[in-house]
Amino acid sequence: MPSEIITLQLGQCGNQIGFEFWKRLCLEHGISPSGVLEDFATDGMDRKDVFFYQADDDHYIPRAVLLDLEPRVINTIMGSAYSKLYNPENVYLSKHGGGAGNNWASGYSQGDKLQEEVFDIIDREADGSDSLEGFILCHSIAGGTGSGMGSFIMERLADRYPKKLIQTFSVFPNQDEISDVVVQPYNSMLTLRRLTSAADSVVVLDNTALNRIACDRLHIQNPSFSQINNLVSTIMSVSTTTLRYPSYMNNNLIGLMAPLIPTPQLHFLMTGYTPLTSDSDVNSQQTVNVRKTTVLDVMRRLLQPKNMMVSTGPDKTNHHCYISILNIIQGEVDPTQVHKSLQRIRDRKMAQFIPWGPTSIQVALSRSSPYVQSNHRVSGLMLANHTSICSLFERALNQYDKLRKRGAFLDQFRREDIFKDDLTELDESRETVDCLVQEYEAATRPEYLQFSVKRASGDSKTDEAKALAGGGV
Amino acid sequence: MSKTDPVRQVLANLIEETQSSFTPDSILREFRATNERRLPSHELLQVLVTISRKRPEFKEVTAEITEILKTKDPMYALLVFAERYSDDESLKALPRSLQAMASVSSLPSQTSLSSNSPLKAKSSTSSISASASTTSIATTSTTASSAAGADSARTQADSARSQADSARSHADSARSQADSARSKADSARSHVLEPRKVVFGKPRHSQPHQGQKPQAKEERDRERGDLSVIKERVLNAVSNSSLNSFRSLGGDLHGGKSATSLRSGGVPYIPPPVGMPDEYRTNNLWDYCNVEGGKMPQPEIGALPLASQQRVVLTELLYCLTGVRGNFISPITSDSEGEGLVRFETSFTIHSQLDRSLVELVQDILPLASHFMGIQKIITETDNQGQVINSLNEALQHLTHDFYLLLIQAEQELQLQQLTVQKLLYYLQPTLWVMEEIWTSLVDVQLTELRGAAVLSHLHARIKRLEGDRAAQHLIIGLTRKAAEPYMQMLQLWIQKGVIVDRGQEFLVEDNEVIHRDELPEHYSDDYWEKRYTVRRDRIPTFLEKYSDKILRTGKYLNVIRQCGKRVMPTQQMELEFDPSSERHVTVINDAYYFAARMLLDVLLTENDLMGHLQSVKRYLLLNQGDFTMQFMDACEDELAKNVDLVLPMTLENLLGLTLRLSSARNDPYKDDLHCELLTYDLVTQMSKIMNQKEEYWQSQDRLDLSGLECFAFTYEVKWPVSLVLNHIAISKYQMLFRQLFYCKHVERQLCKIWKENSIAKKFSPHAAELYRSAFTLRQRMMNAIQNLEYYMMIEIIEPNWHIFIEKMKKVENVDNVLRLHQDFLDSCLKNCMLTESSHLNRAIFKLCKICLKFCEFIQRSQRFFLDAELKSMVCDSSDDSTDSSESEPESSHRPQLESTLDPTDTFSERVKRFDLEFTGLLISFLKQINNMAKKNTADRS
Repeated sequence: MPSEIITLQLGQCGNQIGFEFWKRLCLEHGISPSGVLEDFATDGMDRKDVFFYQADDDHYIPRAVLLDLEPRVINTIMGSAYSKLYNPENVYLSKHGGGAGNNWASGYSQGDKLQEEVFDIIDREADGSDSLEGFILCHSIAGGTGSGMGSFIMERLADRYPKKLIQTFSVFPNQDEISDVVVQPYNSMLTLRRLTSAADSVVVLDNTALNRIACDRLHIQNPSFSQINNLVSTIMSVSTTTLRYPSYMNNNLIGLMAPLIPTPQLHFLMTGYTPLTSDSDVNSQQTVNVRKTTVLDVMRRLLQPKNMMVSTGPDKTNHHCYISILNIIQGEVDPTQVHKSLQRIRDRKMAQFIPWGPTSIQVALSRSSPYVQSNHRVSGLMLANHTSICSLFERALNQYDKLRKRGAFLDQFRREDIFKDDLTELDESRETVDCLVQEYEAATRPEYLQFSVKRASGDSKTDEAKALAGGGV
Repeated sequence: MSKTDPVRQVLANLIEETQSSFTPDSILREFRATNERRLPSHELLQVLVTISRKRPEFKEVTAEITEILKTKDPMYALLVFAERYSDDESLKALPRSLQAMASVSSLPSQTSLSSNSPLKAKSSTSSISASASTTSIATTSTTASSAAGADSARTQADSARSQADSARSHADSARSQADSARSKADSARSHVLEPRKVVFGKPRHSQPHQGQKPQAKEERDRERGDLSVIKERVLNAVSNSSLNSFRSLGGDLHGGKSATSLRSGGVPYIPPPVGMPDEYRTNNLWDYCNVEGGKMPQPEIGALPLASQQRVVLTELLYCLTGVRGNFISPITSDSEGEGLVRFETSFTIHSQLDRSLVELVQDILPLASHFMGIQKIITETDNQGQVINSLNEALQHLTHDFYLLLIQAEQELQLQQLTVQKLLYYLQPTLWVMEEIWTSLVDVQLTELRGAAVLSHLHARIKRLEGDRAAQHLIIGLTRKAAEPYMQMLQLWIQKGVIVDRGQEFLVEDNEVIHRDELPEHYSDDYWEKRYTVRRDRIPTFLEKYSDKILRTGKYLNVIRQCGKRVMPTQQMELEFDPSSERHVTVINDAYYFAARMLLDVLLTENDLMGHLQSVKRYLLLNQGDFTMQFMDACEDELAKNVDLVLPMTLENLLGLTLRLSSARNDPYKDDLHCELLTYDLVTQMSKIMNQKEEYWQSQDRLDLSGLECFAFTYEVKWPVSLVLNHIAISKYQMLFRQLFYCKHVERQLCKIWKENSIAKKFSPHAAELYRSAFTLRQRMMNAIQNLEYYMMIEIIEPNWHIFIEKMKKVENVDNVLRLHQDFLDSCLKNCMLTESSHLNRAIFKLCKICLKFCEFIQRSQRFFLDAELKSMVCDSSDDSTDSSESEPESSHRPQLESTLDPTDTFSERVKRFDLEFTGLLISFLKQINNMAKKNTADRS
């Protein structure tokens, strides 16, 4: 009865990062690309069954559901060495294969249409696990399938499995380059609304930051998708390491996430990872000695914005702060060192915390896979709930507002059922995201507990009604 | 009378025949020389060949001598040689008697015990005696005494003694005979430079060996008549009885008494002032017993010439030295009831008419008699009082025997008219201090009633005190070694086999086994290790004091190993002997200890995989296997939420089995050792009871309102010998840790649960969420507190301590260390997890947990209502009234008195506020307590 987790991979991006994720998990658990347990991994004290189930004695199959509306990426996966890994019944490709055309509304509608087939798969997976803990969703918020269909599935999941966690790894579009998807702001806004209301926790993977890290930290001029995805898979695998290599604490997803998320809305998490090495690094410098990184080094670096996988832009007012931090430290770590490092960080006030509640850096010491050689003595992943994440949403709001003001590109949305009558869905989404931004802003202030959302647009409801939890817009 | 002895005579004759350049003396000197100085044997042989070549039988004799030279001492060869060419019949018997003599004198020199005994001391310069003794080893089987066991040694000693007796009797009987050999011996004795060897060797020439006794005795018996026969028997009895042999002397003694009086011959008998009561002599000692009946007229001693006086005095003195009452030297009878030293001291009065010069000398010798008799008394008094004493006594009897031999020889000289008091004093001089030394040592033993190990300690102390006096120290070392023999044997048996054979209750380890292990009651194995064997402090000889602990453990380990069903295979039999100089026994003890410790450690660590078990225990009882804990909690949640009386242990056990098989614990080989236990008290009660040391600790009390969770604990069953380490106490400690951790985990889980349930609020409008924010943040604070507490206990306390423990275990050498390390680990964990403090920190933790649980309960109860309300309001934008009424319901059920006065909405936030205050208060007081604790003992970690 392990706390199983089902991974849903949606759309091009979702399937790509999911693919990398499974590759990585296979490596860490000693499972061959065909799903067979390697000889050297038979006596591991790891928990493979969180993410895999056993078909027979040494055959492991990922609890993964691959969904896409166009066949390209999935075909690539099924053409790779890992094709035998997945349960073919869990791969769902839209029959017409036309994709969602980067249109959220299209993805959402198709999700609605295909929901029976999709949920057949998901239900079967859920039934197959003894005590399902939750779902992990991999998708991007900008495209069509991942955002649209993802949004739909998220909503359905939340209804269908109210007691199960929904965690997402959501890739945010790169702000530094002009996207070829013109409706990206609309897509983002609509997806953000679902992420806010349906997901329990969202790990934000900002393509902007990922590209920047690839350039600055890994010195890759034009990072490829696979290089970026490698970063993502690292984050995904490390963030689940305490589940897979259980120790005293943080052994289930809820135990991992609950302390990070004080109030239900504030569930967008940033990540940071150090030290970073790219594949090329590893390949070119195989003789490089294991670097002597200390716990303090790792923890200090994790607090540096440049290591964050979210690009929040300069914090001009310097008022943003951490709501919570969880550092997952791997490697040879002396617990007393951790204690000292924490003390040092506290003494030097390296991290600023929210003023309205007690919080600190939580540390989870995790075993790492014995089968993967790391050339770092200590490595760390930070999962942080930081108020500056709202700048991401603000940015999305701005872009949305620009587009919305002009009423551009709304035609393709109106074609779908959900926008047939009006565009309130878009406005509501904007409202939700705006509230979210406000809430994050408020969380930087001591009066957060007394904070109430101010309407951006005038509304008929009175303040009194709001105070009494009168309904939505 | 010829001035040369027979050997010289023979040699002189031979030299004369061959006209060679040797003189008898030069030949003798060559043959007598010590090993290093003398010529190689073929040259010696050449000398003999040279002088004897004229004789007809020279070829055969040379061949014989060659053979003898190969194996035996040259002097013996020379004597044989002399005998072959001797025309003197008296020399014919020489080699045989020489053998007899050698076998006797070999006793002192061969037993290391008496290596410094007077006889040896005197003979140390004398090659003849030394060679005789070495010869005797080679030739006579009777000299096995040195190597053979105590028993055979004793029989040897007895036979040797009887030989000596007979020899003495012969000497006695020969008093009237003046034969040429003896007169030759006389001249030899006057040879001042080589005194003892002559005294030893030469008079014996006249002694026929026992083997020849039948005819010789017959002849002499005829000569001496009945008188001498009786005399011989009496003397036999005297020496034997004083030697404490168990021969019954009843009949002999009576004859002996009269015989003694007869023996005195013409010497008048002086009745002693006070007669000794016969009962006093239960020990068969003469002890200057007043022999009645023999009222002989006493000659006027003063009227005799000095030479005659001396003879009389010497005779008296010799008897006095053996404890026989004489006429002129008589003991001043001390009060027989006397206490202390007096009992073992005798003073003598010397007849006033004796010549002054003699008296002075006699007075120098008399302390020897006193000491000797003291020793004999002590020997008899302490007889059969334990193995150590017995062994000591045996050693003393060897000494006594040597002493008698000395006296015999003195007496022989006396018979030959060659003894003077000065000479006797000279002979006895070394014996004097030896006896005095022994006497002093023994008197203390007897006066303080030392027995067993204490005797050894005492002797050991004396050895220390005699540092600087090498000879005396050596003597006492010899005695101690002998006395320690049985003790060392016990020790050896114990440290090599783990067996105690100790009838006299003298050994330092005591076996308290009452029950066999299989029948042990449940909690027995805790103390088993501690109590089964104990060291008796009063039974440790001082030289083993330092090692007593090691000794105890060595045997203990061996016993544990044996109880594990393994054969204890001692590496090699090591001879354990007390030797203060080499301290060899220390190495032996250490070797045995390391062997046993290593072996048991191997049994524990390798064969029984102690570390695996400990890992397992840590995994389950210290929640290291977090996923298992979580799964188990999932499975047992409902069951454990019940009142403890309603919890079905079988259900728990089944669920546990299921969880163990389904979780990652399934790979653990020891998972089946894990069981559930429902205790009858919660942790706080248990703690306070331990603190208060109340008697009713094990007694159950009324199960108030305890949930299954509060009473639940895992228990871990292990088999012997792992249960040595994982004993009941250790498991209890683990359980205490477990309960605290488990409870915290439970609280954390509940908080997570409401977190998940609360996350529904994100569906609410942001405005609605505001209402619950205070509740959410409070929940978060609780979660923070609990998780930090868990983190502290698990990651900062248990894990580092475990690491230290593991590191130390890698270097561990014995099981006691394992036990100690394990205990240290547990105690350190308990202490730092706030489970041992008397300041009731754990109570504070418990209270914190309680309030968290209450809060969870409250939120869960409210949830239904506000969830309905929110959803309703979302759907139909319902009126304020409906929201209010639905929200007030949980309050009304919870605190009815508040319902009317407070606005329902307020009630919720009020309630949250109250929880908040309560929680904050508890947390602050908890932290304060910790602070105070830290201030109090700054040595501890902050």
